[in-house]
Amino acid sequence: MRQFFVAAALLVSACANAGPMGFKGSTMAMGDFSPNWQEAWVNNAITPRDALGAGGVAMRSDDHTLSRHFTELTYTRLAHRINGEHSQANLWLVGGVGQVRGNDFAGSKTMWAPGVSADFETTRVYASATYRLYRAPGINHDFAAVRAGFSFHEVDYDETQPWLILEARRMRGLSDRIEITPLLRLINKGYFLELGINTAKQGRFNFMYIF
Amino acid sequence: MTPLFNIKSIASYAYKTPATALFIATGLLFAAANPVFAAESIKASVNGMVCAFCAQGIEKSLSKMPATQAVHVDLKKKIVLIEAKAGQTLDAKKITEEIKDAGYDVTKLETLQQSIAELKAQK
Repeated sequence: MRQFFVAAALLVSACANAGPMGFKGSTMAMGDFSPNWQEAWVNNAITPRDALGAGGVAMRSDDHTLSRHFTELTYTRLAHRINGEHSQANLWLVGGVGQVRGNDFAGSKTMWAPGVSADFETTRVYASATYRLYRAPGINHDFAAVRAGFSFHEVDYDETQPWLILEARRMRGLSDRIEITPLLRLINKGYFLELGINTAKQGRFNFMYIF
Repeated sequence: MTPLFNIKSIASYAYKTPATALFIATGLLFAAANPVFAAESIKASVNGMVCAFCAQGIEKSLSKMPATQAVHVDLKKKIVLIEAKAGQTLDAKKITEEIKDAGYDVTKLETLQQSIAELKAQK
């Protein structure tokens, strides 16, 4: 059955450089879109370290024969942060619960999705690792991703900073291959964008915006 | 309405007493060199500030403070400048709290009698 499902992304990894939540009191919208994966998410930072949110994911297998639709309520926790003079390191915990529907079973199932993500960044280099469980009765789509990259140059606060990021990701039971995607990341004080094409020549678009 | 200070009478009095004239002249020179309404700014050195998208929380929260005239974030030098509105005083403790709530650590805070434009010109 492993061949039947989709290679997919996880929001935490898509949003890692800036963290999967904004500053206290802010609302953050995020999206991760590719042919086999479309996700939209919004959360509100109720404290400097806690955010509550909701999101939805539409997944499709590589051969287009299977699909999943997962809607979830999420809790994001900044478990630990180290602010260095020229760097920042974070440990994030994410918990999600919701209903998953699929075209290979009737009705819906309750899915639990706890995860952990760690990242390290400076103004010039970036690295992250993410692991998240996607579990429902009879379903296991545990996900893992690593990312690393660099910025082309330092910028002032009001300028846009371009980055090159390389991502490798995989979800158990959804694809038997590791998806590799180089991404051009653009960071501005008002937005965060990523554009890429994976090794299967599928396009990818990620964004984040804080209200 | 009688003016509080009559320049004519002051000049007349200073002319009669040289010591007073010297005192007044010194005072005027001091006032010119140290204007009462010089802009007050706070310069905060901040750890962890590596990304503009993340640091926008600092700018937004500090801009909302009632005494804030302007905020400038310098990612390269890892500093944040906050300028006070004319005649108002910035709350250093509150500024430290806001930056911490935005996810960063303040390592040093200095109060300066200069505007952000003047401080940027010193680069």
